[in-house]
Amino acid sequence: MMDLIDFGTLETGYGVWNALYWLLSLGVLFLIVYFIYWRGEKTVKTSKDQGRPFLAGSVTSKEKTHVKASNVYWGFTEALKGYYVPSQKGHTGNVNDYISWFILVLAVMMILIGGL
Amino acid sequence: MYILRSVLGPFVVAFIGIFFGLLYKGVDRILHARMQKRVGPPVTQPFLDVRKLLIKENLVPENAVDWLFNLMPVLSLVSVTSILLYIPLGFEPLLSTKGDLILILYLLMLPAICLMVGAFASSSPYATVGAQREMVMMISYEFPLAVTIISMVWRLSKVHAASNLFTLEYISTHPLWGEVGVFGAIGLVILLVVLLTVIPVELSRVPFDIPEAESEIAGGLLAEYSGKNLAMFYMSDAVKAIVMAGLVVALFFPYTISQYFGWPLYLEYIIDFAFFLVKTFIIVFVSVTVVRTAFARYKIDQVTYVFWVPVTVASLIGLLLLYLDVIL
Repeated sequence: MMDLIDFGTLETGYGVWNALYWLLSLGVLFLIVYFIYWRGEKTVKTSKDQGRPFLAGSVTSKEKTHVKASNVYWGFTEALKGYYVPSQKGHTGNVNDYISWFILVLAVMMILIGGL
Repeated sequence: MYILRSVLGPFVVAFIGIFFGLLYKGVDRILHARMQKRVGPPVTQPFLDVRKLLIKENLVPENAVDWLFNLMPVLSLVSVTSILLYIPLGFEPLLSTKGDLILILYLLMLPAICLMVGAFASSSPYATVGAQREMVMMISYEFPLAVTIISMVWRLSKVHAASNLFTLEYISTHPLWGEVGVFGAIGLVILLVVLLTVIPVELSRVPFDIPEAESEIAGGLLAEYSGKNLAMFYMSDAVKAIVMAGLVVALFFPYTISQYFGWPLYLEYIIDFAFFLVKTFIIVFVSVTVVRTAFARYKIDQVTYVFWVPVTVASLIGLLLLYLDVIL
């Protein structure tokens, strides 16, 4: 069989990607996996207590189970405290400071790029 | 030709990925048990687990976003299995010239993203905390993983001039070990260690099973999953082990043995595939079984530190050594 959809190949000079073949194979894979999934038990449990939010040993309301978004990167900021704490000090809220940083970084980048 | 491969290839890789993934899981559990002086379950236990999960009723939490909650397990298995189409499994990848390592790097993220979206959709606080931890882990290990892969391809580009350097077919047919000097060889060993370190965290196995952490957050990401939904995630975890080990084999140990036998072509395919299975099993044994037996679970901030500082520095040293190998 000929490569009928070869026109979609993206060539970067180092690598290649053809999204059409990927989508085609993904579609076939979806059918295979969905067949396995479909063979599974079809009934869904609807018992009230089993489906309710559970926290700290008791059934509680939906609002009380909410986890704050500020927790998301806790592990990350905790591990890289050495970087984040000094960075926070730089966030003074003064636009003049931010513009100074911008000019400083721009100057360094221009020297680096121009020098190289 | 490639249309045919795109249609029939998924059947081949789905069988290989799911069957051997579950088999490796079974062997891993036995070896893990033996190292702890236990008998352990039979090798078929993961197959029995999947069968049991498929006949169990599916429970959807009251506040969950139903369609996302049910769709993500299927998408997770689909996306992780599709990676096998681009990895040499002892023979040429089925879509060898239609996707490269950059694509694989992105596809590797999809199962983790499916897990996170499914966990957030379940509305469980345990699952939400698990999903948050998974996000932090992802941004921790992606950088050293990318540095390792880019370093190897960059070094390869200094030896060969080809327009498909990033495809695994090219990399696996042009092993770097024979092309580099002393500095390069040391650099490659360091990059191999980095990649072996990334495998357990990519698979969320002990000591990096923080997003699931049964004893802390009751299964985390998977806390609300049951029945066939859990079976899908269980199988995608098994396939991911084959994918990660296959990636290490293709990058570092792509050698075949069929040329020494002079057997008919179909037997050559079989023996090279068998050799591939042996190599991937050794990789899984070293980076998953031994590690999860020997270590206890890290905390999430420790994982971030390990991957952003020592492992990233190691991968950059590997890159530097490959650079020195070129200029000296």
